[in-house]
Amino acid sequence: MSETQSIIAVRKGKSGVERTMNLLFLLCGLTAVVCVVFMTLYMVVAGGPIIAKVGFFDFVFGRTWNPENSQFGIFPMIVSSIAATGGAVLIALPCGVLVAVFLAKLAPDRIAAALRALIDLLAGIPSVVYGLLGAILLVPLIFNLQTALRLPTSGNLLAAMLILVIMILPTIISVSETAIRAVPKEYEDAALALGSTRLQSIFKVSIPAAKSGIVAGIVLGTGRAIGEAMAVIMVAGNAAIMPTLLGPVRLLTTSIPIEWAYSSGTHRDALYGIGLALFVMIMAINTIFRKTLKKGGAFDDG
Amino acid sequence: MNMKKPLGIMLSFLLCIAVFAACSSPAGDNAAGGDSSGELSGTVKTGGSTSVEKVMTALIYQFQEGHQDVVIDYEMNGSGDGIKNTINGLYEIGHSSRELKTDGTEDGLTATPYAIDGIAIVVNKENSVANLTKEQLSGIYTGTISNWSEVGGKDAPITVITREEGSGTRSAFGEIIGIEVKDKPETAIVPAATVSDSTGAVQTAVQQNPNAIGYLSFSDVDTAKVNTVSYEGVKISTDTLKNDTYKLKREFYLLTKTGGELSPAGQAFMDYVLSSDGQNIVADQNLLPI
Repeated sequence: MSETQSIIAVRKGKSGVERTMNLLFLLCGLTAVVCVVFMTLYMVVAGGPIIAKVGFFDFVFGRTWNPENSQFGIFPMIVSSIAATGGAVLIALPCGVLVAVFLAKLAPDRIAAALRALIDLLAGIPSVVYGLLGAILLVPLIFNLQTALRLPTSGNLLAAMLILVIMILPTIISVSETAIRAVPKEYEDAALALGSTRLQSIFKVSIPAAKSGIVAGIVLGTGRAIGEAMAVIMVAGNAAIMPTLLGPVRLLTTSIPIEWAYSSGTHRDALYGIGLALFVMIMAINTIFRKTLKKGGAFDDG
Repeated sequence: MNMKKPLGIMLSFLLCIAVFAACSSPAGDNAAGGDSSGELSGTVKTGGSTSVEKVMTALIYQFQEGHQDVVIDYEMNGSGDGIKNTINGLYEIGHSSRELKTDGTEDGLTATPYAIDGIAIVVNKENSVANLTKEQLSGIYTGTISNWSEVGGKDAPITVITREEGSGTRSAFGEIIGIEVKDKPETAIVPAATVSDSTGAVQTAVQQNPNAIGYLSFSDVDTAKVNTVSYEGVKISTDTLKNDTYKLKREFYLLTKTGGELSPAGQAFMDYVLSSDGQNIVADQNLLPI
């Protein structure tokens, strides 16, 4: 019977499959959207009331975090989070871009391949391992510095920053390298033809042209750094005070796992409040970067 | 760094398997067991404090040896959750390493103490300070004493290590040495104190840091890693805890709903913990029986 099947029938069958698959993909897509929507709603519902109760201003700009005594100021944590992330990006950016330039333009192929494999390995190491290395090697090293300056020896902002630098370097390097490689060779050829040196062509032509890609690397790196908790807990000292470079700090992220286990009542609500604050902060950073990125892209196109 | 949680997860996992095995065993077995000897069976859901982990897993193990058909489930998630989940009925028995709050949020529970735990003051192996008074200790933790030379040690700034807010050890410690008094900000723990989020983390931090001081459950002290400091001239030991000369100590509690009826298996477990067998196990864990 199948021999007499008409072309139309087959086509109908096909379009049925098409429609089903379309629906299936739509559902898959919706799952992601629904997850984000529900998470947002949940964070607001769980974290909102305590912020309303304490007062937005007292919560966000309060200087004292003492939840068992009804003091819920998270300002030191916000500043520490910004300091640690900002510091890490500031250190990682020049290093990362220079490594990317080396890999994309200067390194012999075999060395570049080996380096790239090692950097990928760096990206795959779980954060708790970085934390462990930081706690065993880096923090005791900084103890010496603290002792020399007659400061109490403890986990500190510098250690947290350096750990974050190592964690975000692979992202910045690989995204920047891709961006630099994507710059049309003609740009550089033109620069060389006009008499620039190899390095001048890289720094005056290739890097500016790869700007938007490098910014994307910064965005991804910032995202990873600001959300990191595990490695930071192990090296930061976790005191909820205004940050100093060699003093202990507590970030927004680390507060939650540190205090979760024994918290109850308003204390636990306040941890949800911190979660909401972190959520809003990351959303804000993403939006700002996205806007800048779009502007940068438009500039390049124009 | 902290081996307690993975161990806890492993134990919970084993317990899950045990529950599964118990459920999937042929129904005939259970019936036969029940008929012949009136043996207890079933699962008792418990959970809470992580500080009681060592003694509680030992108690549960021994109890289950004697009652093969009973499974005592123990979720380790902190005293706060232990209290909350006992109130809302998720746990039949809760574990707490701190007293119940009296502010109305933790009403309706009965806390039965079953062990006394010493809180040890620990310093780095290199530290020569061997004794601290209550005043010195509260001075160090509130920040009025900030150099080891002020308490007879070398000239170096003190690194204060404390547990996180809400920890049972922290609240018991604060209560005894008279710091963190409600509405008295001058008794608050020095804000720059390093916060470690578990007993193991405190021990590691003190072991690594020559200028650190910390406090942790006596049952968890490893004298190969840290030195214990005498409190008010008394060195911590099971003897000084027993004869009540060492004053830094707290109780471990089993929580049950006030007026609520326990399952036969749950009741048997409570009775076992308070029996002389159970109390012997408590003593084996460097704790003081009630």
